[in-house]
Amino acid sequence: MQISKILHTGLLCAFSFVAVAQQADVTVSGQVRTEDGETLPGASVSLKGTAHGTFTNADGRYTIEHVKPGAYKLLVAFMGYQAQAKDVNLKAGEHFKHNPKLVSETRELESVSVIGRTETKEINRQAYNVTAIDAKKLQNSTLDLSHALDRVSGVRVRESGGVGSNMNFSLNGFTGRQVKFFLDGVPMDNFGSSFQLNNIPINLAERVEVYKGVVPIWLGSDALGGAVNIVTNTRQNSYLDASYSYGSFNTHRTTINAGYTGKNGFTAQLNAFQNYSDNNYWITVDVADVNTGEYFRNQRLRRFHDTYHNETVIANVGVVGKKFADKLLVGITLGKNKAEIQTGARMVSVFGQWHRKGNIVMPSLKYSKKDLFVKGLNVNISANYNLGQEQNVDTVYRRYNWFQQFKQYEGKGSERERSLYKFRNNNGLATANVTYQIDPKHSITINNVFNTFNRKGEDELFPESAKYEQPRVNRKNVLGLGYKFDYNERWNTSLFLKHFSQNNKFSVSYNPTGNWGDEAFMVQKNSFEKLGYGIASTYFVFKNFQLKGSFEKSYRLPETDELFGDLLNLEGNIELDPETSYNYNLGFSYNGAIHRAHRFSIDANVLYRNAQGFIRPRLNANQTKQVMDNLADVTNFGIDGEVRYSYRQLFTAGANLTYQNLRNNTRFEEGYTTESPLYRDRIPNMPFLFGNADAAVFFKDLGKKGNTLTLGYNLLYVHAYYLYWPSLGSDKLDIPEQLSHDVNVVYAMAGGKYNVSLECKNLLDAKLFDNFSLQKPSRGFYVKLRYFISK
Amino acid sequence: MKKSYLKWFFVVGMGVALGACSDDDNNTTPTPDPGTGTQSRYVVASAPIGSQGVADYLLTTGDLSQGTISTVGQGIEQDGSYRYYLTHKGKFFSLLYGQGNPGAVTTYALDEKGALVKTSDFQSETVQVFAPAGDDILTIKVPRSGNESASWFRINADQSKIVGEGQVNIVKLAGNGERAHFTWATQVGDKIFAPYMSIKGAAPDVFGTVNPDSSWVAVFSYPGMTLEKVIKDNRTSYIGSYFNNGLSVDENGDVYGFSPAAATNSGVATTTKPSAFVRIKKGTTEFDKTYFFNVQEKSGGYKIANQTYLGSGKFLLYMYGDMGKASGAKKLAIADAYNQTFVWVTGTPDAIASSSASYNNNTVSDDKKSVFVGINTEAGSWVYTLDIATATAKQGLKVEGGAITAIVKVK
Repeated sequence: MQISKILHTGLLCAFSFVAVAQQADVTVSGQVRTEDGETLPGASVSLKGTAHGTFTNADGRYTIEHVKPGAYKLLVAFMGYQAQAKDVNLKAGEHFKHNPKLVSETRELESVSVIGRTETKEINRQAYNVTAIDAKKLQNSTLDLSHALDRVSGVRVRESGGVGSNMNFSLNGFTGRQVKFFLDGVPMDNFGSSFQLNNIPINLAERVEVYKGVVPIWLGSDALGGAVNIVTNTRQNSYLDASYSYGSFNTHRTTINAGYTGKNGFTAQLNAFQNYSDNNYWITVDVADVNTGEYFRNQRLRRFHDTYHNETVIANVGVVGKKFADKLLVGITLGKNKAEIQTGARMVSVFGQWHRKGNIVMPSLKYSKKDLFVKGLNVNISANYNLGQEQNVDTVYRRYNWFQQFKQYEGKGSERERSLYKFRNNNGLATANVTYQIDPKHSITINNVFNTFNRKGEDELFPESAKYEQPRVNRKNVLGLGYKFDYNERWNTSLFLKHFSQNNKFSVSYNPTGNWGDEAFMVQKNSFEKLGYGIASTYFVFKNFQLKGSFEKSYRLPETDELFGDLLNLEGNIELDPETSYNYNLGFSYNGAIHRAHRFSIDANVLYRNAQGFIRPRLNANQTKQVMDNLADVTNFGIDGEVRYSYRQLFTAGANLTYQNLRNNTRFEEGYTTESPLYRDRIPNMPFLFGNADAAVFFKDLGKKGNTLTLGYNLLYVHAYYLYWPSLGSDKLDIPEQLSHDVNVVYAMAGGKYNVSLECKNLLDAKLFDNFSLQKPSRGFYVKLRYFISK
Repeated sequence: MKKSYLKWFFVVGMGVALGACSDDDNNTTPTPDPGTGTQSRYVVASAPIGSQGVADYLLTTGDLSQGTISTVGQGIEQDGSYRYYLTHKGKFFSLLYGQGNPGAVTTYALDEKGALVKTSDFQSETVQVFAPAGDDILTIKVPRSGNESASWFRINADQSKIVGEGQVNIVKLAGNGERAHFTWATQVGDKIFAPYMSIKGAAPDVFGTVNPDSSWVAVFSYPGMTLEKVIKDNRTSYIGSYFNNGLSVDENGDVYGFSPAAATNSGVATTTKPSAFVRIKKGTTEFDKTYFFNVQEKSGGYKIANQTYLGSGKFLLYMYGDMGKASGAKKLAIADAYNQTFVWVTGTPDAIASSSASYNNNTVSDDKKSVFVGINTEAGSWVYTLDIATATAKQGLKVEGGAITAIVKVK
C-alpha cells in the first residue's frame, strides 16, 4: 500500500511538472465506477502517448486539464480490473466528460484480498510458509499478542491462568525455546518477563508474521521450528492511538502509541502500555482442610492471589529520510511487572504470598538505509542491551488453602522454596542485515546476529552463597548468507546457509583438599559450530494461485542452564549438542472473487518435521541430580488449512483447522537394547487437533456516515488429549476438549477515529484447561475505548 | 532426580511395611490368578522409559515368580513426575513428590478381585521421610537449606487424614553448626528412631559436611514426637542416606543400622570410617559398643548403598559397584548381621550396571525363604526371586512397557 502511495505521489508530481508547460486547451473529467456501480478511488486515467495522466480521488473522480486538441486513446486502469481504452477526439475549448465502468478480472485477481488476511503483498508472495495476521483489524479488541497468535493455524498458545500468566507457545509441535520471537526483526530472546507476548497489547503491532519451520535469512537466529516476527508501526507520519479497557476481574489495560515526524526529518515515537488484573476469576476446585488435608469437593470460588500488573514504555527518537540514513533511532525500553503466584503445577497446590517481579531497562539503536553507497545495497543494523532484573520472592512461612485459610509457622520458612534470589542476564544483542540487489533477478543477503549473556545473581537470604556465584557466560553468533533468484513474476527461489557458533564459559566450584571452606574453581569452556541450510521456492500457477515449498535443516543451540546447570537440581552437561530438525513444508494459497463482491481464500499446507536430539532432562550418573541430554527424537506430519470468505465490506467468516501427528521417534532409549514400547506413540500432553472459526458483520454508516458497527464472533476448539503416553495404562488422565465462544461489538465512529467495543470472552462460562488441572478464566466482560488519529 | 531415592526407599520401606501389615494377612481373599499358590497381592509400579517426566502405572499381581504383565493399555496412571508408595493397615498410599509443593496423596484398597480401587485422596506436604508408626504414617519434611525447622505429620492410615503435626529445629538438634538432615524414621517400641546426616545446607555444597566420621540417631517419643535424646557413635559415618532407610528392627527388638560411609565435602568423599552395621539393643537408647559389623572389609572393599531386612538377622544388601566409593551400579549381596557373614548374590544379570537399570521395592515371600527384587536391564525388566539361603537369583515375572520402580506387597 505504502509503495503504491509513494509511486502515485511521484507520478503525480511528474505529471503536474509536465503539465505546466502545456497550452491550456481541453479539460477531460469524469468518475470511474465498477460494474456494480461502486466508485473506484486510485484508478489511473491517462492519454496514451502523452504525459497527461492522473489518479481518481476518493470519490473516483478525475480531471485532466490543459490538453491540446486532437485524437487520443483514453486509458483507464485499476489493479484487478480489465483496463479500458477509448478513442476520443478532443476539440479546442471542450470540456470532455467520460464516466467509465471497469469490469473486474474475476479469474486473475492478485490484489483482491479477503477481510482478515493481511494485504501486505511482500509477505504473502514469499516462498516461506508464513501466515501474517493483520493486527490493525484487531486493534479494537482487548487481545494481547499471544491470543492473537492463537488464531493462526498450526499455533497453539497454552496458558496456565489469566492476564500475565505463564504461557507456552507451540508451533507445529515445537515449543518453548524451539520457536524464536522477533520484534521488528530483532530477537526477543531475553527481554525478560516485563516485555513478553502475554503482556504486549495487539495495538503495538501492525502485523504479526508466523514463519513455520523454515525461517528466512533476515530473521537470524537458532530457531528449530519456526519464528514469529512482530512488526510494529511502520508509519512515518504523525499519529496517536490511545486506548483504555476495563473488564471482569478488575482488569485494566491502557495503550498509547504516538508518533511525530517533522518536516526536517526529526521523529519521535512512544509506545506505552499497562495491564492490571486481579485475575480473581471463578474456578471449581477441591479445597484441602488446612489442618487435616481432607478435601472439600467441587467448591466454586474465586482465585485470590493472582494479581498481575505490568507497565512498559518504549521511546525512540531520531531522524528519518536523511542522506545518511533512512532511519536512525535511539531508544529505550523501560518496564516492570509483578505477578502473584496462585498455584503450582496442579491446582491443589495453592499459594497466598509467593510472587515474582521483574523489570527491563533496555537501551537500543536502530539504523536503516536503502541504496547505501550504491544502488541496491540496503543495510539494517540494530543493537540492544537488557539491564533488567528478575526476582523470586518466597519468604512467608505459611500454608494456604483455597478458602484463603492458612497456617502460620514459626521460623524462616516459605511456601515453596525460601528465596529472594535476584538475577540479571546482562543480555546484549547486535544484528546486521545487508541486502544487495545485483540486478532485478538476483539478490544476496548477509545477516549476522550476535548475542551475549552473562547471568549474575544474588540472594540476600544466603549471603554465604555469593562466593559460589561464578560467571555463566555465553556468546552466540548466527551468520546467514542468502541468495534469492527472481526468475520472473511467477517464480522465485531463495537459498540460504546459516552458520551457528557458540562459546560458553563457566566455573564450577570444587574442594581441592576436602577441608571445610576450601573452595577452588575450575573453568569449563566449550564451543561448537554448526551449519544449517535451506531452500524456499514459490510458483504462481495463476496470479491468484500460489504454490510454496520450503525446507530447512534447523538448529537450536543449548542454553546456558542446560549447558552449565543451575547450581541446585540441574547438573551441567558441557557435551550437549544443539537440537536439530529437518523441516519440510508444501502448501498452496488461492484467492478468488466472484464479481468482486464475494471474495474467498483457501490456504492449505502439509508439513513434515524430523527432529533429533531434543534436549530433555535425565538423571545424572549417580542419580542425584537432573542433567540435560540430547534424548528424544520426534517426527511430526501435520496438515493445516484456512478458509476465508467475505462479502463486500459487509460480512466475513473464516475457519482454520490444524492436525499434527507428533510421534515419538526414539526407537532405542539410552541403555536399552530392545525397542522402546513408546516408539511411534503419540507425544503426550500436546494438542493434536485444534482450530478457530470467526465471523463478523459490518454495518456501514450506521447512525452517521463514517460510523461502522461490527458484530463479531470467535470460536476456539481444541480436541481432548492425554496428559501422559497414550498407549500406556487403562485408567488415564486427560486434558478435556475445549470449546470457547467469544463475542464482541465494535462501534467505530468518524472513520475509526473514535471506537467503543464490548467483548464477552468465554460466553458459555465453560471450564477450560490448556494444562492438566489448571483452569483458565471464567466468563468475562470487557469494554474498550480507543481514539485514533493520523496525519 | 528423586526417582532413584524413591526406588531405594521402596526396597527399605517394604521391609518396614511388611512387618506392619503382616497382621492383615488373615483376612485375605483368594487371589484370582491361577497357579499362584500364594495369597499375597503385589502392586508393581512401572515408569515409562522416556523423557517426558511421567510417573508410574500401577499393576497388581499375585505372582511375581513367573509370567508377563504389561503397562501397555493397562494400569492406573499416577500423576506427577515422582511418586512414592507405602502400604499400611491394608491400604496402599501413593504420595506425590512435589518438590516443595503440597501434593495429593491417593489411598487405594484392594477389591475382591485383588485390583486397586481408590478409596480417598487428601493433601499432604512433600516429604522425604515416611514410615508406618502405630496407626499412622509418620512423614517428615526436612528442609536442606534456609528454613531451620523440619515439619512432621501424623497421617492416620484408616481415616486418610492428618491428625497431628509439629516442628523440630534441626540446627539446634545438630548442635555442631550444621543441620540434622533426617535420613529416615523407624518405629522402635514406643519411640521413633530418626538417624540423620549432618549437612552444611548451603548452596552449592548443600549435602557436604565437616563431620564425616560420626553416626547419629535422634530419639523421639511417639506419638508426641518430643525429642528425648540424640545418640552418637564414632566408629562409622552417618546412618542411611537421603531418602534411604538405614535402620531395621529384628525379631528380638534389636535395632541394626548401616552406614554407607558416604559423607562428602564439596563433592569429595571425606569419611575415614568403613561402611558397616552398628546395633542398638532392645530397650536401650545407646549404641552397643560391643557390636560392629565391618561390611566394607567383609565385601572386599565395597560400600553398602541400601538394605532390606529379610528376617533372622539376614539382610539383602545393595552394594555400590565401585570399590571403596559410594558410586557405581549396584550389586546384590546377602549378609548375616548375627554371624557377620557376607555373600554376593549370583544369578542376577550383569547388565544391571546400565544407568537406567534400577531396583525398586521388593518383598519377602510368604514362606520367608525368598525375596523379590525388580531388576531393569538393557533388555527389559524382570522381577527376580532371590533364594535367601543360597543367595541365588532366578528370573521371574517380566514387566513390559517400562522400568520397574516399585514392588509393594499390599497384603
